[in-house]
Amino acid sequence: MKNKIIPITSKGKDFVNTVKMIPDRLVDVKKSSKEQAMNPELFNVNRVAAALHPKEQKLVIRKIVEHSADVKSYYLTWTGGQALAYFRAGQYLSFPIKIGDSVVTRAYSLASSPAKALVGEYHIMIKRVPDGFASGYILDNWKVGDKITAYAPEGCFTYEPLRDAPTVIGVAGGSGITPFLSMARAIDDGSEDFNLTLLYGAKTKDELVFKDELDAIAERNEKVKVVYVLSEGKSRGFERGFIGADLIKKYAPEDGKYSIFACGPEGMYKFLGQEIPKLGLERKFVRMEMFGVSKSAVLSDAIKEGEFKMTVVYRGDKTEYVCNGKETILTALERAAVKVAVRCRSGECGFCRSKLVSGTVYIPESIDRRRMADAQFGYIHPCCTYPTSDIEIKID
Amino acid sequence: MDKKFDAIVIGAGNGGLTAATRMALAGKKTLLVEKHNLPGGFATSFVRGRFEFEASLHELCGIGPITGRGALKDSFDLLGVSDKIEWVSLDEAFRVITLNDEENIDYAMPIGKEKFIAKAEEYCPGARESCELLFSFAQQISDGVDFISALKSFGFDTIKDVYNEHMNFINVAGYTVNQVFEALDIPKPVRDIFGAYWCYLGVNLDELNFVHYFTMLQSYLVDGAVIPKNRSHGISCALLERFEELGGEAWFNSMVKKIIVKDGKACGVVLDDGTTVEADYIISDVSPYNVLTKLIDKKDIPDFQIQDLNAKKLAVKGYAVFLGLNRSMEELGLKNHTYFIYDSADTVKVAEGSKKRDKCALQASVCLNAGIPDCSPEGTSILYMTSVFTGEEAWGDVTPSNYVKEKRRYAEIMIDDFEKATGVNLRDHIEEIEIAAPMTYARYTDAPNGTIYGFDASGTNTIVHRLMTMGMGEKVQNLAFCGGYTQQCIGFSPSYQTGVMAAEQTLKKMDKEAAEK
Repeated sequence: MKNKIIPITSKGKDFVNTVKMIPDRLVDVKKSSKEQAMNPELFNVNRVAAALHPKEQKLVIRKIVEHSADVKSYYLTWTGGQALAYFRAGQYLSFPIKIGDSVVTRAYSLASSPAKALVGEYHIMIKRVPDGFASGYILDNWKVGDKITAYAPEGCFTYEPLRDAPTVIGVAGGSGITPFLSMARAIDDGSEDFNLTLLYGAKTKDELVFKDELDAIAERNEKVKVVYVLSEGKSRGFERGFIGADLIKKYAPEDGKYSIFACGPEGMYKFLGQEIPKLGLERKFVRMEMFGVSKSAVLSDAIKEGEFKMTVVYRGDKTEYVCNGKETILTALERAAVKVAVRCRSGECGFCRSKLVSGTVYIPESIDRRRMADAQFGYIHPCCTYPTSDIEIKID
Repeated sequence: MDKKFDAIVIGAGNGGLTAATRMALAGKKTLLVEKHNLPGGFATSFVRGRFEFEASLHELCGIGPITGRGALKDSFDLLGVSDKIEWVSLDEAFRVITLNDEENIDYAMPIGKEKFIAKAEEYCPGARESCELLFSFAQQISDGVDFISALKSFGFDTIKDVYNEHMNFINVAGYTVNQVFEALDIPKPVRDIFGAYWCYLGVNLDELNFVHYFTMLQSYLVDGAVIPKNRSHGISCALLERFEELGGEAWFNSMVKKIIVKDGKACGVVLDDGTTVEADYIISDVSPYNVLTKLIDKKDIPDFQIQDLNAKKLAVKGYAVFLGLNRSMEELGLKNHTYFIYDSADTVKVAEGSKKRDKCALQASVCLNAGIPDCSPEGTSILYMTSVFTGEEAWGDVTPSNYVKEKRRYAEIMIDDFEKATGVNLRDHIEEIEIAAPMTYARYTDAPNGTIYGFDASGTNTIVHRLMTMGMGEKVQNLAFCGGYTQQCIGFSPSYQTGVMAAEQTLKKMDKEAAEK
C-alpha cells in the first residue's frame, strides 16, 4: 500500500525544494575562499590543551639544594622559549632517564606552586631509596646545567572542592611532603583555595625539610597549619609517635568535616590502613598517593620465581628478551631499553597499557586499575604485572 | 619507504576501526595508525577510584533490539564482532525537563512506538493523532533511507527513482523539523516531546533537517536503543581485536604528520618519528578539517575540496562532568537513564544560550545504573552530564592557569541545574569527579576548537545536502574519509557506518584498478 501523500508546501514545490539542495550547496562552495582554513592548532582551545599537556618538556637544572646526603631539591627551568606546563598542586612529573643500558621512567611529585610554572620553574625533591635504581643515579649524577626531559604533569592527588571537604588533613611521611609543599605554597599564593592541616611525620627533627618555609606560610596564612610528628626522640613543640587516628582527631576540625590525603612510605600506609577506619569517615574523604608497586607484591604465592622469555612485538617486528618472575614486566622492558610509554608506575594512569599476546601473568588485585574491556580483551598494565610464564607482549 | 601496505587507515576512532576491519576482512594488507595509546577516539572509558566511566556514549542506535531492523547490527555481523560485545537494551527513551517557570515541562518517555504514543496521550490528551502521523513519517523516511542505501547513490540521476517509490521522503527532505511541524499542525506539547533529542545533533529545530532528525528518532524509539555492558571501550576493543585477528596491523602512539600526495593521489604517510609508510589507498578517520589544513600541502589539494571545506562550519564543542556517587541511584532518588534538561523548549533560544559559559542552557545527563544496575560497586552510582557550546568563541578566553577553575565553575552550574530539575542531592555524594572541557576533547583527538560533532549539519550542509553532493567535485584521489565529519553526520552509529562505507568504496576502486591492469 502506498502512503498517503502529504504536501508540506505544495506537491510541486516540495519536490523542487529538495532538488535545489544540490545547486544551493554548490553555490555556497563556489563562493568560499580558496585559501586553506586555519590550522587547528591555532584555536585557543587547542592551544590551551597543548600547553597543559605537552608531549614532553625539555628542561634544564637551574639549581640543586642538598638537604642531606640522601635528599636533594632540584629546581628545573625551561631550556628557552617554551613555557612550563601548568598543573594542579599534588600532581607529579615523570622523567625518562637513561641509566647504563636501561631507559627507566620515574615519577616525582611537584613541590612548587603551579603559579611558578608560569614563570618557568618546577621544584622536585628526591630522596635516595635504599636499593633504588633511579633515585641513587639522579642524586649522584644530575648537575646544574644538565638538560633533562619531563613529560606533562599528571595525577589525581589534587584538591577538588566539589568532592573533598573544606579542610584537608595532609598526612605526610618523609619525602611524601612534596605534594603538600606544593599545596601549601599554592594556598599561600592564591592558586589553590582550601584549608590544609599538615601532619608531617619524620624520624627526627633533622629529617624535616622545608620546615622554615612551612612555618612561615602557616604563620602568615590562616588556611595552612603544620604539625610535626617525630617517631624517634622527644622534642618540645613536636608530636611524638606515628600519625594515627588519635592525632588526626586531635587536629581535625570540630565539625568533623575533613578529607584525609596521605603521601609517604609503604609502612605509613600500612599503619594508616589500620587507623583510618577508626575515624568512621566515608570512603570519599580518604585519598592516598601511590608511587610504584608495593614491595610486598612479590611475596604473593602467585609469584613464579625464575626467568622467562619475553617476546616484544613492536610495529609487527618481534624481538626476544628475558624477564623475571619477581620483577614487573615494565622493569624487564626498561632493563631491555624498550621504548614504552610510562607515567605513574602504579597501575593507575594507563599509559603503559599493552596487549598480552600470549602467556600468563599475575596482577595484584589491589592495584589492578584496568578498564573492564581491557581485562576482557587481554590488556595489561606492565608496571604492575608480573610474568608467570614465557610471554609475548605488543608494545606501541 | 620503510613499509608498504595495501591501505592505511589513519585514526582508530569509530570510523577508522570499522574501515580497517572491513579492509582486513577483504584480505587487504592494512595498517591502522593512531596517535593515542587507545582505540576508539571519543568511544572510550576511564577509571577513577572504584568507578569506570563511559567517556561519551549515551545510547546506541542501529542495533535494533525491538524490531530487528539494525543497519549497524548488520555491519557488526558482517565484520564479525557481534559476539564480542554484550548489549543491554534500554526501556526508557528520556525524561525531558525545562527549567523556566512558565513551561513546567517534565515528560518521562518510554522506548517503543506504542508505549511512546500512549505516554504522550497521557501527558497531553488528544496527542495520539499527531504522534501517529509523525511516526508514520519516521517510518517512511527510514524506508526511503533504506531504498537509497540499496541504490548506493542519491543525486540528480536517482532522485526521480526515489520520488516514485518514496514520495513523502522527497517531499520533506528539503525542510527543517520546525517547518514540517508547522505544516502538519503538530500541537506544541507533541513538538516538545518529539523535539527532545535535538541536542544529540547539536542543531536547533529551526535549522535541523527533518529527514536527519526523524531517521534518528525512528532508530531510537521504534527500533530500540542499546548500551554496551563494558562501556564503548568494549566496542573499540572488540573491533581492534577483530582487525588484528584478520591480520591487520595496528600502531598506537603513532601520529601522522603528513599524507604524501603524488600526481593528485594519496600514496603514503609520514609519522611523527619520521617513519614513512607507503600504501595505494588511504582512509582517513582524522577529520577533513585537520587533513586539509595540516596534513596535506595546499598545492596538492584541488580548489574544490578546499572551498567545500570552507563552506562548512565546525559544529558544537563538548563538555562533560563525570560523577562517581557514593549512594545507589535508589538512595539518591535518581529514577531515569537519560535526562534532557533545557532552559526552555524553544530550541533556538537554547542554542543561543549555549554560546556562553555564564549559564547552562542544556544538559543531557545519564545515570548509567538505570541501564546497567551493576555498572558501579554496590551502594554507588554513576552519573555523567554533558553539554555543548554553540558559539565559536566559547572557551576562547580561557588560559592554562584559569582552566581548572573555569571548567569547575561550569560543572557547578550543571550540578545545580540537575539538582533543581530533579530534586536529587548530588553535592554531598560526590566520591569521584572528572570534568572534560573542549580542551579535553582537543587533547585526546586533536578536534579543532574542541568540536565533538564534526561539521554543523545546518544551512547547505545538512545530511541531505551531503548525501546528494557526495561524489561531486575534484578531490585528492585515493583518499577517502570516514567518521563523524562525513556524509552521515555525527553520532556513534553513523561513524561506524561511514567506516564500512569508506572501506567498501575503496575496495571497489581497488577492484576496478585491478581489472584495468
